[in-house]
Amino acid sequence: MEVLRNALDFSDFPRVDLCVAALVASFLLIFPLFHFSSFAMATMIQFLMFSLYGMGWNTIGGYGGQVDLGKAQYVGIGAYTTSVMLIRWDVPFWVSMPVGMSFAVLWSFIIGYPLFRLKGHYFAIATIATSLVLKDLFEVWDFVGAARGLEISPIKYHPPDFLRLIFKEDVYYYYVILGFFFLGIFYVNWFRKSRLGFQLRSIKDNEDVARSLGINVHWAKVKTYAIATAFVSLVGSFHACYIKNIEPEDTMSLDISILIALMAMLGGAGSLWGPIIGAGVLIPLKSYLKEWLGAKAGLVGIDLIIYAVIIMLISAVEPRGIWGIVEKARRRRSV
Amino acid sequence: MKRYGMTLMVVFGILALMGLLMPSPAPAARVVKIGVIYPLTGGAAAAGRELRAGAELAAEIANGVMADLPMTMAKNSGIKSLGGAKIKLIFKDHEGNPTLGADLAKKLILDDKVDGILGCYHSSVTKTVSAVCEQYGVPMINGTSTSPALTKRGFKWFWRTTPHDRWFTKDLFELLKGLTEGKVRGVKAVPKKDIINLASACEKTEWGSHVSRLIEGLAKEYGFKLRKSLLYAAKAADLSSEVRSLKAARPDVMLFASYTSDAILMVKTLKAQKANPKIIWGQDAGFEKPEFRNTLGGDIVGILTRTVFLPKVVEIKAIAGKVNALYKKKTGNDLGGASARAFTGLQTWVHVLEKAGSTKPADIQKAANSIKIPGKELVVPWAGIKFSTSGEELGQNVLGSGLIGQYQKGKDGKVGLEIVYPFDVSSADMIFPFPGY
Repeated sequence: MEVLRNALDFSDFPRVDLCVAALVASFLLIFPLFHFSSFAMATMIQFLMFSLYGMGWNTIGGYGGQVDLGKAQYVGIGAYTTSVMLIRWDVPFWVSMPVGMSFAVLWSFIIGYPLFRLKGHYFAIATIATSLVLKDLFEVWDFVGAARGLEISPIKYHPPDFLRLIFKEDVYYYYVILGFFFLGIFYVNWFRKSRLGFQLRSIKDNEDVARSLGINVHWAKVKTYAIATAFVSLVGSFHACYIKNIEPEDTMSLDISILIALMAMLGGAGSLWGPIIGAGVLIPLKSYLKEWLGAKAGLVGIDLIIYAVIIMLISAVEPRGIWGIVEKARRRRSV
Repeated sequence: MKRYGMTLMVVFGILALMGLLMPSPAPAARVVKIGVIYPLTGGAAAAGRELRAGAELAAEIANGVMADLPMTMAKNSGIKSLGGAKIKLIFKDHEGNPTLGADLAKKLILDDKVDGILGCYHSSVTKTVSAVCEQYGVPMINGTSTSPALTKRGFKWFWRTTPHDRWFTKDLFELLKGLTEGKVRGVKAVPKKDIINLASACEKTEWGSHVSRLIEGLAKEYGFKLRKSLLYAAKAADLSSEVRSLKAARPDVMLFASYTSDAILMVKTLKAQKANPKIIWGQDAGFEKPEFRNTLGGDIVGILTRTVFLPKVVEIKAIAGKVNALYKKKTGNDLGGASARAFTGLQTWVHVLEKAGSTKPADIQKAANSIKIPGKELVVPWAGIKFSTSGEELGQNVLGSGLIGQYQKGKDGKVGLEIVYPFDVSSADMIFPFPGY
């Protein structure tokens, strides 16, 4: 009960934050009623997926200060578990998703335990390496389709299939991922106020001091890494049903790992809203720049240039991301 | 009041009659929208430019009248059976990303309301896009993706005009066999033991990994020894360890399946490490792009590539020469395997629409399943286009065929492709062995 109360208690945020959050939440709930284009719907689903990825990354990367650039391996574990179980044994999503999360958490313990002996850049590089090694293994593993990957056949299942999460209309996927999105917010809200959350922040500030206070630094990091992993794996399982085709190059690429970290960092690592703001800015920006300018004759590639320049500008103005800019403005106002 | 009502009725009656007798204004020319999804940025951007230009040229020919071009679609302005409806192409850039490809397909179908889709070059992207089309019952014609698996899924809304990699890879082994039998123009029979050891390096997505498997299977079937088979990332910035590994296997024949930037990097690395096999063969894609030839110049003399179109085809097919001239005027380059197949893909769309006489998906499906385009209409040297409607390969064109070309220096000093296979249409003596670096 205490956990639930903590998860639902946002009273430590300023009222204006809560008003904006309530407005955004209401908009998200009624978004499909506006009947925007299917492209807008696909963009919103991407936004929600990357918000969740970012929320997971934020626990270890934001609150814990451990820059993890290997999250794509857990996207892959979730996506592959769901696809393999569905294609080979017709296991519904709601069963395969927690199984995928369990595999991912198990793998995170195996990887995380030795990896957290490393610090700073060495840790970041090691996470990239483990992710790439796992991707290479999947590329030669015939059981999971090797480099060709797995396809959930659109002619085998009859949508709407709520058990297997096979739908024709994106609106169903939207509400499923929106449900996970709200659960994710409540979970991170509980996490930041939990014992582990406080331990992590003290580790981020000064590891030696944290250790002197009796915190088992290594174990706290490993546990949080597992939590982050569970988030990412869940979205990976969803991704498999949504796209219906997974292959290592697409699902487990370094680009995904970097994008996940980028969303959270650019939005504001270590804050509840940061990853959501990051995904809310970067995903529509990328999608719509591509839509407006992407395939125009003579302007091919201009969308990517503009996208990169905006990222550079935000990073140059405030390294703590967009949330950092908001907080800076607030402080200036109060002074 | 009664009289007033009567007058009104008479007036309206006359107006209604006038309406019936007056000739109705000519309906605005209809437009048939085709969504075209190609890689316009990223590692395959060079191919994307070619594909786009090929499809655009076909649309220009279909929408106008070119009396001197012996092609049915050049005779009419637009689609005749649809009242002269013009083809409108809506391009999208998938960057080689299958997830993005699926999103773009949904956008084209649901927002832009396209009548059909053409694309996508990368087999991995074609896989996700065709799955979306299948789900929405929207016809898709694919002209350039060659993974055999694409037509083995039993899809009813997917048709592929290009031959696939099993045919192409078989051509390679037929060429090797021909070498041992003395069938290759300008080369005496080579003892099999001199070319028996093979090594392959293929990019590791859907397409490359399939080619790798095919090489493995066909090597066994034809009695060759595959001493090394590796997969690599097409985005890799360095391929030196891959080349070292290939060299260590001491192969007589090196086989590659690469996109543009990695094909260039691979040949540069082969040169840097002084690799010296007797044959280097590329599975089309990067190995026959203008960028490959322009960047590497003389270093590619002796390299073989499979393709479906070479400028030399112009000498054996007049229609190809005419279209090539138009393409060269538009882009400055000759037609290549990618552009010629993109052209043929859109040409097939025009023929299907003409036969369907409607843009209803069911009519298009019926037309595609019964169409037969004769080879004389095509720029590619195929017997024609006819889609399989039963058996394992649903929607596959059964009349396609491939070519193998070799880069050679012409009399003008320029490096270009000469046909060495099929043997009966070879345009020059084959350079054997590879001159080395």
